[in-house]
Amino acid sequence: MAALTATAPARPRKCLASRRTRVGLLYALPVVVFLLVLFVYPIFSTLFLSLKNTDGSLTLHWYAEALTGVNLSVLFTTVRISAETALFSLVFGFVLANAISRLKPLWAGVAMLIVVVPHFISALVRTYGWIILLGDKGLVNETMAHLWVPGAPFQLLYNEIGVVIGTTSVMLPYTVLLLYGVMRGVDRRLLAAAASMGAGRVTIFRRVYLPLVAPGLASAGLLSFILSLGYYITPALMGGPQQTMIATLINQQVMKQNQWNGAAAEGVVLLLMTFAGLLLVKLVTSLGASAKKRSTS
Amino acid sequence: MMELRSTLTGRIVLTAVATVILLFLALPIVVILVTSFSSNAFGSFPPDSWTLTWYKALFADGSKWPAAMSMSALIACLSTVFSLIIGVTAATALTRSELPLRSAVYALVLGPLLIPQIVTALGLFLLFEPASMLGSPLAIALGHTVLASPIAVLILVATLRGIDERLEDAAASMGAGRMTIARRITFPLAAPGMIAAAVFSFITSFDEFYISQFLSSINTVTLPVQVYNSLTFDIDPSVTAVSAILIAFAILALALVAVVRWLGSGRQNALLSVETTAGIAPTGGEAA
Repeated sequence: MAALTATAPARPRKCLASRRTRVGLLYALPVVVFLLVLFVYPIFSTLFLSLKNTDGSLTLHWYAEALTGVNLSVLFTTVRISAETALFSLVFGFVLANAISRLKPLWAGVAMLIVVVPHFISALVRTYGWIILLGDKGLVNETMAHLWVPGAPFQLLYNEIGVVIGTTSVMLPYTVLLLYGVMRGVDRRLLAAAASMGAGRVTIFRRVYLPLVAPGLASAGLLSFILSLGYYITPALMGGPQQTMIATLINQQVMKQNQWNGAAAEGVVLLLMTFAGLLLVKLVTSLGASAKKRSTS
Repeated sequence: MMELRSTLTGRIVLTAVATVILLFLALPIVVILVTSFSSNAFGSFPPDSWTLTWYKALFADGSKWPAAMSMSALIACLSTVFSLIIGVTAATALTRSELPLRSAVYALVLGPLLIPQIVTALGLFLLFEPASMLGSPLAIALGHTVLASPIAVLILVATLRGIDERLEDAAASMGAGRMTIARRITFPLAAPGMIAAAVFSFITSFDEFYISQFLSSINTVTLPVQVYNSLTFDIDPSVTAVSAILIAFAILALALVAVVRWLGSGRQNALLSVETTAGIAPTGGEAA
């Protein structure tokens, strides 16, 4: 602000501010109108549809249906597969991000490239790659057969093993990128200080490093969990009927059964689970911020 | 540096595990590229013999792929234009003005990135179905813009924040009008960010699946929907060739963004450096 008033001293400040406000409102208009019409309104109409009977009266019938029988087991499957995916993405992401943060810049750059490039390649294409890899005569089973692994070839497709492998590879870039950022943000002097006071490596890791990256770990895990909840490309292509997820159910209800109200209720359930997850992320990050404040003060 | 004195075995184990995880990320992509040249598209890996059959089959008579590709390209172009218009105006509002409810606008922009895409797709289906716009490329492009424009806004906000406002103030103090400042100062400096925003909007739309599946009809099948259909319903071996092309395409797009960023990064430094301002040629290549 100081720079602005210095360059235009003749103009009264109040007038300047109001012009800048008007410009802001005018320029914000396209995005606000666009997203209100094509994003907020559709979501609210989904919500209303889920509460309406076919004759237009209010009902909770669709939620009762969404939370019972086969639909309930789909819900459990969704949460289970998402949790498994989040766990594996988190563990692999932690190890990989940690290894990258120790590499020399050139090798770290190469490794980051291998993480980032797949992220921009269609998930459909990557899933297809896994279908080729995990087949009975695919590279994974052939390699295991050559190594005389007992029991090979394994059934790795059209079951939960395949789904979790495929979904984890889709979510992993997110967790690696998030955790790499968190690890780069760790003040190395804190580790050195702990070492200078005689702490061993295990102690430094457990007492200093882990608490510092813990909020990042929690939010990375939650993020991959949330992203997995609404995902169905990989489960639909690599799973069997036992791996039907909530998003597949929504798709089937609209496309095959013409059952919009039911689909809308499933959509709202998915939305509420997502909001719960996001709320937890917010809680964790604010807890982390206050913990950091305490450790440095 | 205590942490660097970790044991050799520890480092070897960590490196080995990290390499396996990197393979886990890269392998599905490598396998597609190799299989697309394999004479047996569904068979064993590594392939026994090599062929270009699947690439030729893409453009054979009766192939669905050219239509799907051009449909996706058309929709992605439309969606890129919409996203850039929204992105440039929104980023200007968020960085170069006093905007009431700024955090509410940010929350709105982040919304489509946080909410499951399937819910957005369902909502758009409920919006466009009564308007009998299902199957319209415009409707699909508008739907994709819901997902692509937030990314464009975030990239452009970062770009505009990165441009030193003193350059704009300096131009203003020398009597340049707002249009001149935008045209001669802000736009050239923001160009790399705008190209990045355009490329990411294009990729987002080109790869988008959920909204396309909900809003498309028989006549407006996009490439991802066609790929999905080929993998679920009709077994079409040329899907390997399409996948390989999509991989090459994504890598080229990322390379383009990297090159543009690299070329653009020197520009602002050059403008800000004292030597250039004073009219003295910069010594060495560092300032360029």
